[in-house]
Amino acid sequence: MTAVLEVSNLSKHYGGIAAVDGVTFEVFEGEILGIIGPNGSGKSTLFNCILGQASPSAGEVKLDGKPVTGMRPCDLNRHGVGRTFQMLQVFPALSVRENLILAGQEHQGTAVGRLFGRADAGLSATVERMIEFFRLTPVADLRAGGLSFGQQKLLDCAMAFMAGPRLVLLDEPAGGVNPTMLGSLGERLRALNAEHRATFVVIEHNMEFVMSLCTRILVLAEGKIIAEGPPEQVRRDPKVIEAYLGN
Amino acid sequence: MESLLYLVLAGLMTGAIYALVAIGFTLLWQTSQTINFAQGEFAMLPAFFMLVALNLKLPLWLAILLGVGVSILLLGLAFKRLLVDPMLRHGVLPLAIATMALAIFLKESVKEFYSAEAQRFPSLFPEQKVDVGGAMISIQSIGVFLVAIAAVVALQLFLSRTRTGRSMQAVAQNPTVARILGVPVERMILLTFAINAALVALASALVTPIYLAKFSNGEVLGMAAFVAAIVGGFNQIRGAIAGGFLLGIVDNIAAAYVSTQYRAAIPLLILIVVIMVRPQGLLGRAEERTV
Repeated sequence: MTAVLEVSNLSKHYGGIAAVDGVTFEVFEGEILGIIGPNGSGKSTLFNCILGQASPSAGEVKLDGKPVTGMRPCDLNRHGVGRTFQMLQVFPALSVRENLILAGQEHQGTAVGRLFGRADAGLSATVERMIEFFRLTPVADLRAGGLSFGQQKLLDCAMAFMAGPRLVLLDEPAGGVNPTMLGSLGERLRALNAEHRATFVVIEHNMEFVMSLCTRILVLAEGKIIAEGPPEQVRRDPKVIEAYLGN
Repeated sequence: MESLLYLVLAGLMTGAIYALVAIGFTLLWQTSQTINFAQGEFAMLPAFFMLVALNLKLPLWLAILLGVGVSILLLGLAFKRLLVDPMLRHGVLPLAIATMALAIFLKESVKEFYSAEAQRFPSLFPEQKVDVGGAMISIQSIGVFLVAIAAVVALQLFLSRTRTGRSMQAVAQNPTVARILGVPVERMILLTFAINAALVALASALVTPIYLAKFSNGEVLGMAAFVAAIVGGFNQIRGAIAGGFLLGIVDNIAAAYVSTQYRAAIPLLILIVVIMVRPQGLLGRAEERTV
């Protein structure tokens, strides 16, 4: 199997505290990797270091075998890394369609074309496909700020796929989403994985969601990996139970 | 006393100028949290750039083009790079104070180095009047109104129908995500400053033939546009447009029906009422900030 993402000995220190401490793992093409752990275990810091939103104190990140450590988020985006956000991050005054075009337009054409080119950036067909795939057709022309929380989560996911990414990092996709919408979101992510071999890394607190979605789980506690394996194996691991429930 | 129709039409002309200048307030605030208290002086200065070009015997159209170009360079790009960028690192308040100082500097510089006397400025339009529904309106007023409206419509089309305009909106709504998506945020903000400079330069070319070119022109225009932007909604371009027209019409009607002495007080009264009743402005939206 080909490793899309390789993280080697990644550490992030804040003063004397190690938020992430020598983390090493790989994500393979077509895989859905879940990262779980108690609050303060370093999941978000790890994500931020991978995505260039925080500079790691040590270690290396490679995308398709090429070093991308410390690369700016926008450059990582150009290199095929999409992401969704824990807190909703759509453009509220733009329509669903405009949000989607915006998420893909910076990857299209030359600098001059981006200034003076077609308003849809040649993305109309992709946008319509995404709208249909994420079942956003009834709200496609509404302002994103007026959508329900769950619909905005779907839009956030759809935006992450507009640039045709190699890898998508999902930051708590289930957070605040009602059970019906959560089922729909999980189903859409599984479909993307099955139909397009999309590769995901998911940080999630909702155990049921992450166990049903992911093919492999990685457990962080106090900045270190304490367990790794298929969902059923991780669920029974005494170290994981101890990390979540204590002694 | 003038007819109500005449006052409303004249108010629309004044309001269109206020709107052009007020839009600049909202553009700069939305993209870079800049409140430019030198905005009035920014609308005064381009007329003097154009006068310098006219003194060199250049035709009016070329003088206006040069004036707009120099304004974009000095009041747009140089203003952003030399004053806004260094000051904004220290917060919104130091920047606001710096723009107040800039306003005084620009006004006094024009007085010192050009002239303290009002200067005649050629009009783009003929002086004749035409009958509009019984009110005699000058072609100049109609021309000013139409050009200002065309500029506002062009700006709205640019923002809503082009990729760059959409990127500018994205930067105003969520700069962090815009940056992650690859939108060149700094370039978009710089473009906003350039657009503001072009709008005030256009306002300057339109209004100066009526009020003459004078170093103090920015005081009234800047205050009126600031009030218009707040009344309409400081975070909405359509608010600035609505506020501009409202203020222009109220200003003219107040001068005719209330008192020319209290004319300047009426917009301030409206401002106080709006701030008390609807602080986000008539068309603005409430904003929350984490402190």
